[in-house]
Amino acid sequence: MSLTSILSAEAIESAVKDCQEPNSFSYKKFFELCGLTSKTPQEVKDVFNILDEDNSGFIEEAELKFFLQRFVPGARTLTEAEARTFVSAADDDDDGKIGAEGLFSVVFLLGLLSRSPIMAAVSQEKQYTPSLLSFFVYNPSFGPREGEEEKKILFYHPSEVEKNEKIRNVGLCEAIVQFTRTFCPTKPAKSLHTQKNRQFFFEPEDNFWIVMIVRNPMVEKPNKDGKPPTVEYQEEEVLDTVYGAVLRQCYSMYKLFNGTFGRAMEAGGVSLLIQKLEKFFYRYLQTLHLQSCDLLDVFGGISFFPLDKMTYLKIQSFVNRVEESLSLVKYTAFLYNDQLIWSGLEQDDMRILYKYLTTSLFPRHSEPELAGRDSALRPEVAGNLLHYGRFLTGPANLKDPEAKFRFPKIFVHTEDGYEELHLIVYKAMSAAVCFMISASVELIRDFCERLDALVGPQLTLLASDICEQFTLNRRISGPDKEPQFKFIYFNHMNLAEKSTIHMRKTASVSLTSVHPDLMKILGDINCDFARVDEDEEVIVKAMTDYWVVGKKSDQRELYVILNQKNANLIEVNEEVKRLCATQFNNIFFLD
Amino acid sequence: MEGDVDRKATAAWSGCALPPMERLRAARADSPTPGLVEGTEPGAGQQAAMFVHSRSVEDLADEDAGESRGVPQLDADGDPGSSETSETSEKELQALQGEENIIETVQAPKETSWAESRTKEEDINSEGWRSHRKHVFVLSEAGKPIYSRYGTEEALSSTMGVMMALVSFVEADKNIIRSIHADGYSVVFLSKSPLVLVAVSRTCQSDQELIRELQYIYYQIVSLLTLTRLNHIFQHKQNYDLRRLLAGSEHLIDNLLRRQDRDPGLLLSAVTCLPMPGSSRDVVSASLQAAKTQSLVFSILLAGEQLVTLVRKKEQFLHHVDLHLVFNLVCSSSSSFREGEGWTPICLPKFNTAGFFHAHISYLEPASELCLVLVSTDCEDFFSLSDCKQRFLERLRKRGSAYQALKEAVKTPGYSVEQVGIPELRHFLYKSKSSGLYTSPEVPEMYQSEGEQERLMGLYQELHSRLHHTTRPLRYIYRCGETENLMAWLTSGFELYLCLTPLGTKALAMSAVNKLLKWIRKEEDRLFILSPLTY
Repeated sequence: MSLTSILSAEAIESAVKDCQEPNSFSYKKFFELCGLTSKTPQEVKDVFNILDEDNSGFIEEAELKFFLQRFVPGARTLTEAEARTFVSAADDDDDGKIGAEGLFSVVFLLGLLSRSPIMAAVSQEKQYTPSLLSFFVYNPSFGPREGEEEKKILFYHPSEVEKNEKIRNVGLCEAIVQFTRTFCPTKPAKSLHTQKNRQFFFEPEDNFWIVMIVRNPMVEKPNKDGKPPTVEYQEEEVLDTVYGAVLRQCYSMYKLFNGTFGRAMEAGGVSLLIQKLEKFFYRYLQTLHLQSCDLLDVFGGISFFPLDKMTYLKIQSFVNRVEESLSLVKYTAFLYNDQLIWSGLEQDDMRILYKYLTTSLFPRHSEPELAGRDSALRPEVAGNLLHYGRFLTGPANLKDPEAKFRFPKIFVHTEDGYEELHLIVYKAMSAAVCFMISASVELIRDFCERLDALVGPQLTLLASDICEQFTLNRRISGPDKEPQFKFIYFNHMNLAEKSTIHMRKTASVSLTSVHPDLMKILGDINCDFARVDEDEEVIVKAMTDYWVVGKKSDQRELYVILNQKNANLIEVNEEVKRLCATQFNNIFFLD
Repeated sequence: MEGDVDRKATAAWSGCALPPMERLRAARADSPTPGLVEGTEPGAGQQAAMFVHSRSVEDLADEDAGESRGVPQLDADGDPGSSETSETSEKELQALQGEENIIETVQAPKETSWAESRTKEEDINSEGWRSHRKHVFVLSEAGKPIYSRYGTEEALSSTMGVMMALVSFVEADKNIIRSIHADGYSVVFLSKSPLVLVAVSRTCQSDQELIRELQYIYYQIVSLLTLTRLNHIFQHKQNYDLRRLLAGSEHLIDNLLRRQDRDPGLLLSAVTCLPMPGSSRDVVSASLQAAKTQSLVFSILLAGEQLVTLVRKKEQFLHHVDLHLVFNLVCSSSSSFREGEGWTPICLPKFNTAGFFHAHISYLEPASELCLVLVSTDCEDFFSLSDCKQRFLERLRKRGSAYQALKEAVKTPGYSVEQVGIPELRHFLYKSKSSGLYTSPEVPEMYQSEGEQERLMGLYQELHSRLHHTTRPLRYIYRCGETENLMAWLTSGFELYLCLTPLGTKALAMSAVNKLLKWIRKEEDRLFILSPLTY
């Protein structure tokens, strides 16, 4: 395919001519003149693929300099300044490259601006990502008699659904579960696949069922003559393992803040449970972003901060000191840069708490800090106590006489059940500490002030120490060169997770630098691994010529994506060995 | 010497329709490379593909594609349902009952096949029933049981009622139920009006693979009755008990299900050939080609479950599904055809779901494995087909050496993987895409037990479903495990699956692939039908 099969030669020529003078290049004008703005998304992607000389899936800043020459061989190169403005406009993830979506979004926006919305709707295919259709909790034993079905339903999202519809949907789930018991009484259904959606069933406690219905991704193709658009469902796009894990996580998160369903039943019967479910899930479901769920949700791992021994000991002695002087503190956890360094909690509790901290609490509080360091320094204490410490949970300002000393309560496992704890999260710069204190104790101003005075200065010092160490280590290992590969590592024993696939995690979306199809291939390999309990290695080559390598050794899993089209099996193997040697030199992998 | 003469003779017979064989052979690449163009891979036939070109699963999924291929003159043939209106239906139902007798001729002696395969009286609440590897149920849209692999349909009628209820409940939402997944097993639904097929499987197969297997069962039923008649029956009487019509034919479904667990042909959508010298095969094909008659559409010579040769009418292609159904018919009821000449109606659903063909089935010699199937459009043509068979036999006997070579080949229908001469290779499957033929050595000692054989097939099935994934297909898979290393490779020309010892390295595996492809190229005229003929 050539450019002229999509864009007309005259249009290209006039567009290039228009920006003959150095620094006269404007991508908006250029795309308009060459006619790209009126093309379909697919055509724009085709153009992108032609421009992407090394087929990397990205146009790098270096390639961009020769941008005009890709259109007309004799054209000038872009100046540094022009290239940079161009990149920053189209680059949606700040990596100095334009992905196909990057270029697409620039052109697409322009296209929308220049046309009336109706026209755009007619000629565009609309792609819908998987989304949450409904989510409900029911207990079949609450309404066993006919006519009482509604009593089974404890929570239903969206709540505005008509009553009979709710009953019907719950009924189907019950029927599916009951039906599968014919074939295996102990292991009932976990998911139902239909053309339009996937339903996931989970029974976390006896007779309590949580069901999540996810709509399959779909493409809406417009029809001419005002007929309704044709909808095509993409049925193989949703991975059971991923959304099964998301559903289990929903329950874990509920349990972290509310304890089990059974606890609510004991304390206040069905009505209390309904109230708690309503309160929790109403907010929580809004934070579910089903379109960006992937293999990492299956692992639900914890990212650990790499540290040298000395600094690690410093942190440990800090934790010990605080625990000794504040004897109320039962458990402590220490994080830096959203990565865990030290935790006194059980692994499973830490896993869900970590999820809460990194995806919900920290992102909510990161904005004011980014806005400017100075503002974090409370003016009223600037004179005497110079530290950056502040409470992320509980009182926003200690000096405020109106301040309330209420902390969120969480439930963690103990040997014989669970205990209720206050969760205090205290942060100074990039270092955050969680202190957990038995809920039976009432926390008062005096305690918080003592904590602030004790922890604030020490943590500020510690944070800058870690930061120094970190940059030092980075400098020794040399500047980061863009590697030829992306990887995910997970260890089932300590839940440690390491990934270079997610470039930036925010509260709402985690951007991946990898094509979703490749992520799903990783998911497929993970399913194969889960099925057999032995060490395995899988190397596959996708139709896009990417190589994907999966290794499972003991409790560890490693997935590597290599962008080396012409490599053969042996070269791929060598490349992965090199990666293991640099990133995981002390971990043994089956060869 | 003899071989040379034969070769020339073949070339002369095939006449102007075939380009000179030598030249074409020279045009084929010497050693296969990944860049092979389709049609030049080892095993590719020289004329147009012998079967309907199939892209395996995708092809099967696209159900309507094959159904319009029937030639017009065939449509009207042998189909009592299409021309009549409903007022004559009473008479027709009687006719249907009469039809049972014809089907009856197909069935194997009841005592043997039932005793060994159908443990019908099983208690459906027992652990034993639940733990079967794969259940298959067929029901009508009214929820009436038609077939169950294990347990009696009577005992299962309420279970099947629930299945139908689930299907229609989801349908009421303008949605379609596909499958249910649980720990260790899955339930797959296939709705093919007027039938519903359900599989409950404890294997690791993907939904896609299970659907493909159910489709084979569906086609098996259509092949016995034609779709037109099936539709007609259920339009007329919604809760008709189809078992009345299928009685005595269940063993065909049983047998097909058994074959799916161990025959790679059904997985690859391909058939395998009896290995024999190419020159002798050409002579046999030419003899078969010469024994023709007006109504003959396909002449198929089988040795057990292997194809010896196939001659077809020009422009008519035999789809691999249809060919497997013919295989299944012959293999499931071999004893009844051995005694004489069989004459049975058969619908080839990928060719035309509306009408019956008529198949003349006979063994060349009573004790021989060689079975000749002559497929005709005319139900009155028994005697002229019988005559064709005689002419073929006479011709073959005259060419004594080729017949001898054929008989020799039947004695050793397989080859061992040692013959390939790659020590780390345990087993392989190779499919030439353009010809729809595959080759594979005998299952080695270590995979011979039933469980191991099914496990090996299971591994191939997994690789197959990954390679042919509907939205994220793969080119290449290499998998290292504790019991074996596996490799799968999909190119535009061929599909290759290797099972290697777990001790080999990746470099050894790569060289094994190259050596194997060279070996297949060298042996291709023994392993494949390179010059298929038409009448």
